[in-house]
Amino acid sequence: MAIIKLTQINKVYQTKEIETTALENVNIEVERGEFLSIMGPSGCGKSTLLNIIGLIDKPTDGKVELLGEELVGKSDTELSHFRNANIGFVFQSFHLIPSLDVAANVEMPLIYRSGMSARARRERVEAVLERLNMTHRLHHLPSQLSGGQCQRVAIARAIVGSPSIILADEPTGNLDSRMGAEVMGLLHQLNKEDGSTIVMVTHNEAQARETDRIIRFFDGRVIS
Amino acid sequence: MRTKLRQIYYDLRHQPVIAWVTFLATAISVFLIMVVVMMQVVKTVPFAPESCRDRLLVGVGLHIRMLNDYGDSSSGMSYFSAKTLYEGLDGVERMGCFTYWPDKAEVSAPKGEAVNMTLRNVSAGIFDVFDYTLVEGRYFTQEEADAMMPVAVISESTAGKIFDSRPYVGKDIVIDNNPYTVVGVIRDVSTLATSAYSDVFTPTGLNDPRHWTEYLGELAVAMVVADGVDFQYVRDQVKGRYAILDAQLRAEGQETVYHEAPYDQETIASGVGGSNVTPDTGPERRMRIIIYVILMIVPAINLSSMLHSRLRRRVREIGVRRAFGCTRRRIITDIITENFIVTLAGGIVGVILGIIFASFYSGLYETVDNIGHGDTPSFTALLSWSTIVTSLVVCFILNILSASVPAWQASRLNPVEALNNK
Repeated sequence: MAIIKLTQINKVYQTKEIETTALENVNIEVERGEFLSIMGPSGCGKSTLLNIIGLIDKPTDGKVELLGEELVGKSDTELSHFRNANIGFVFQSFHLIPSLDVAANVEMPLIYRSGMSARARRERVEAVLERLNMTHRLHHLPSQLSGGQCQRVAIARAIVGSPSIILADEPTGNLDSRMGAEVMGLLHQLNKEDGSTIVMVTHNEAQARETDRIIRFFDGRVIS
Repeated sequence: MRTKLRQIYYDLRHQPVIAWVTFLATAISVFLIMVVVMMQVVKTVPFAPESCRDRLLVGVGLHIRMLNDYGDSSSGMSYFSAKTLYEGLDGVERMGCFTYWPDKAEVSAPKGEAVNMTLRNVSAGIFDVFDYTLVEGRYFTQEEADAMMPVAVISESTAGKIFDSRPYVGKDIVIDNNPYTVVGVIRDVSTLATSAYSDVFTPTGLNDPRHWTEYLGELAVAMVVADGVDFQYVRDQVKGRYAILDAQLRAEGQETVYHEAPYDQETIASGVGGSNVTPDTGPERRMRIIIYVILMIVPAINLSSMLHSRLRRRVREIGVRRAFGCTRRRIITDIITENFIVTLAGGIVGVILGIIFASFYSGLYETVDNIGHGDTPSFTALLSWSTIVTSLVVCFILNILSASVPAWQASRLNPVEALNNK
């Protein structure tokens, strides 16, 4: 069964003067444990699609099913809880919270999860950071880390809650090739070892070819 | 909580002007509220010689209306009226008469230079009602007062101005060109003790020629109600006494108009207004509330815009939190909690400023008032629990007023737009 199923997704941005179609009749299914790449030129709707899958944006019409659950029409609170339990984000610009140290940044998704003690959260954070070889930076602020280290922390934050789906929006876009390769290695490791379903937006053809499947976008439509 | 403290520390380091202005504006606001509260507390809190304020009732005047025409007259009471209306009431421990609105009098030693001092005519009972501190001699008795003996009790500083040396008791004194003898000297009374304060006390009694009619004069009655006795119970008795006085007055074609006397300290502090009106504490209470509201609204608007500025720099963070499952309600409560910590810290500084103000209050008072240098409300009386609780409530309200709109706006941010915020 598909863990992600998008049916007839349309997304139209309406302003006073113009109407812009970002996505048009998009149908996508992603199987559990699949590593999918989405490619296409800038402005073709890749990130919009990722945001809709991540439930932080809503389609103008169409159906979004994640883990077999129809999610269009759910309340904001229900969607927040669903995101917290099932989705992890990795952003191109890392989006770490500058005021918090590495441990607190990674812990953040767990804080919004009810019924988890502070001790359990701390143990989980330490375990994830150890897996990503970042325990030596536990109490460093993001401003004290390199780009590659920031993205490792961002990946740690994305997986700390053991989500079924990881959404990565150009995760190597701000990294040099060596760091980029390292981050890609980590994502593949998570995909293989944990069985995480990963949907990654990328401009990098070589990185995309390493994934299970590539979907190509153009002007808001799936072209292959 | 640790995360919130980290955020506040980060704000202090990275947006120091906004953070410090927020902090100080709260401190000043809470301090000003405390000053206003203390100014009100001063009017009602018990302190010597008005140590009985919480059990004090004052019958201020008398209003008489002619039965056959529309004329009426009102003023203080004669000694006779005061005794008829207030003497021997059940539940009243002590009572005494005094001129409610004190006069100014020329006071001097014989052939000495006169000084202008405050004068009150009082019955002997007033020295029981208020706990003056006798420094020399004794108080005059009611027998002396009824006999209109020319005796006086004066304050220590008055004695110091008039006489060159101690002892003061037994010395002659001239009050408005009339000779008296000093029988007692009391410790100075602060003008904050509005009913008890005076520099010179002379006797009044049944035969006081200064009474204008049999019923009207210049006297008010102060009485101390026994613990556990309801003020209304005393008022009901007084209302009954008005009927007794009325029976006598009607034979003369007159009747009294009852104005809910006697009054408690809060009413006295609000200003009685006159003998022919029923005092209303409502306007003063409303004015106080308006002052509180202004003292809160102005900084709340300021704090709100400050918080708005702080949050503008955290838009992307809010987007990230929303992406990872933070609900809108959680965003609101987190922001309000963070802001509360800042306002509480500012509030604590405000309370400390208030405590410093309270400890220097007596000194400050003396610099603005050159008449009364007596006891003032103690530090602990000024800083009652109610003052501190009021300050904390103000902190909480300030926080809610200043944080709710920015927090709500932050919670409504579109996560995608927030994440893309530059």
